Amino acid sequence: MAKRLKNYIGGEWVESRASVYTPVINPATCETLGECPDSTREDVDMAVRAAQEAFPEWRATPVMNRAQYMYRLKTLLEDRFEDLSEMVVKENGKTRDEARGEVRRGIESVDFAVSVPVLMRNDGLEDLASGIDEDTVRQPAGVFAAITPFNFPAMVPLWFLPTAITCGNTFILKPSPQTPISMDILFEIMEDLDLPEGVVNLVQGGKEASMAIMEHPGVRGVSFVGSTPVAKLVYETCTRNGKRVQAQGGAKNYIAVLPDADMTASVKNIMGAAYGCAGQRCLAAAVVVGVGDAYDKMRDELVKQASALRVGYGLEETTQMGTVISAAAKERIERMIAQGVQEGAQVALDGRSASVNGFEQGNFVGPTILENVTPDNIVAREEIFGPVLSLMKADSFEEAVEIINSSRYGNAASIFTNNGKYAREFKYSVNAGNIGINIGVAAPSASFPFGGQKESFFGDLHGQGMDSIDFYTEKKIVIERWI
Amino acid sequence: MTSLNTFGAILTYAIELEARLAAYYQGSSRAADAEKRRGKLERSRRENVLEITLEAIDGLDAANYAMNLDDRSEAGQRAVEQVAARFYADVAPKINVREAQRLLEKCGKEHSALAG
Repeated sequence: MAKRLKNYIGGEWVESRASVYTPVINPATCETLGECPDSTREDVDMAVRAAQEAFPEWRATPVMNRAQYMYRLKTLLEDRFEDLSEMVVKENGKTRDEARGEVRRGIESVDFAVSVPVLMRNDGLEDLASGIDEDTVRQPAGVFAAITPFNFPAMVPLWFLPTAITCGNTFILKPSPQTPISMDILFEIMEDLDLPEGVVNLVQGGKEASMAIMEHPGVRGVSFVGSTPVAKLVYETCTRNGKRVQAQGGAKNYIAVLPDADMTASVKNIMGAAYGCAGQRCLAAAVVVGVGDAYDKMRDELVKQASALRVGYGLEETTQMGTVISAAAKERIERMIAQGVQEGAQVALDGRSASVNGFEQGNFVGPTILENVTPDNIVAREEIFGPVLSLMKADSFEEAVEIINSSRYGNAASIFTNNGKYAREFKYSVNAGNIGINIGVAAPSASFPFGGQKESFFGDLHGQGMDSIDFYTEKKIVIERWI
Repeated sequence: MTSLNTFGAILTYAIELEARLAAYYQGSSRAADAEKRRGKLERSRRENVLEITLEAIDGLDAANYAMNLDDRSEAGQRAVEQVAARFYADVAPKINVREAQRLLEKCGKEHSALAG
């Protein structure tokens, strides 16, 4: 029987006041895995009050002791690593390797949080004026929340929660209603940490819960990852309500391939960037620009390697690409491919008729390659969030950079080349927050901020790295004189 | 016929191989060694999976590493170890994470030594 999910508030599993529950569907088998409550404003208010009540005692808990919880969390996550990875596969549709990789990156964020006692230290200056010293201290800021997406149901929440609470804040998490069970498991794991009640809270739900979080006066700041239109809405709503906000939006990530690149090795890596997680990641390669002679070789190698990818159910170890999240996503992706073709693109590899034996109802879209794509084509302009790679030609490196910089998004861009001069010029002049040099998925590790520019990010401080310490703390300046 | 076409497929096959060897050598010190290798491989599958460089792997098939685990004679054991050593020698270069590759190479060396 499908599990009816509860919220975790004030150290207890509580039934939501929701009248509506959404089924959580395994996108490969179409089996119902659970039922997610559409939590209400009252549910969110209860979580905020629990987090507010927990804050004074938690912020007074020595930071070294707070960090100890993270050591324990890491151990518990290692123990439950396979369970958590398996649920990510089941509710998201990605492959086992991708799910394990995601959980590993989540644990890296826990590792990062362990360093908070060092990172929260600040600076000072004696005798700024005669007998006057000045010091900066960082203090936790209160109740923080994160609204997280379906595509990395375990990793993205862990970008935020461990650092936020180790800095001394209390926390509310609202995961995607499409993939809420991974976080149900995480909170089950965290119960064994014996954190003070109310330090971490889980509210399952959709738009109503999100709006309640963004508008609640008791929430100091919100982290969000999702599409650009929603990121914009989150940013506007949160700032209007006086909150800190970091809102990461959609993307259209370009890769430039120069003629001197090792084509076989480069394409192998581009495969992972384009088709990893079935293209459903904000760092997915969406458009590859072949420069000069590179185009034909690159195109042939891409079609060859993409045709050989094994599409299937993620729980099978030999599956190299899983499903997209839902029937609606599959329909949208296929509709965008068709529109791209109508606008002049040619299909070099068509994944629209993908079907997997034993999983005929699954939401599979095979690797797709569109060529002769022009910058004004919908597949070059809009985020598809599926396994679709568009190919473009450029006569020169400069033209490739111009094409890349014309995008309204600026999440990531990569170059494949053996030429240091062009690599340097690329990272210098391309307007994207994460740059890859001979790496297609330019994903920063936990100790670096996750970049993002233009319509891919709204806010000032990014998630992860030192930006996250700044986001989760207030700087207080103490000016001191003893008379 | 099972293709060993992903990082996880290779590591999982290696983990299962060591589990089968532990059962094969049950009661001897070789069983404990196989168990130890299995534990290390499980840790590697968990810790060394690098999401941003996951790439498809080709040219490896589990059918090439079939073992006769009914033959417990000295010659049978040597043959089993030869297959295990060959498996590790074939898969290690295909893995693009150095730590995991090093472990697979080490397992291969241990099996080579047992193969004589």
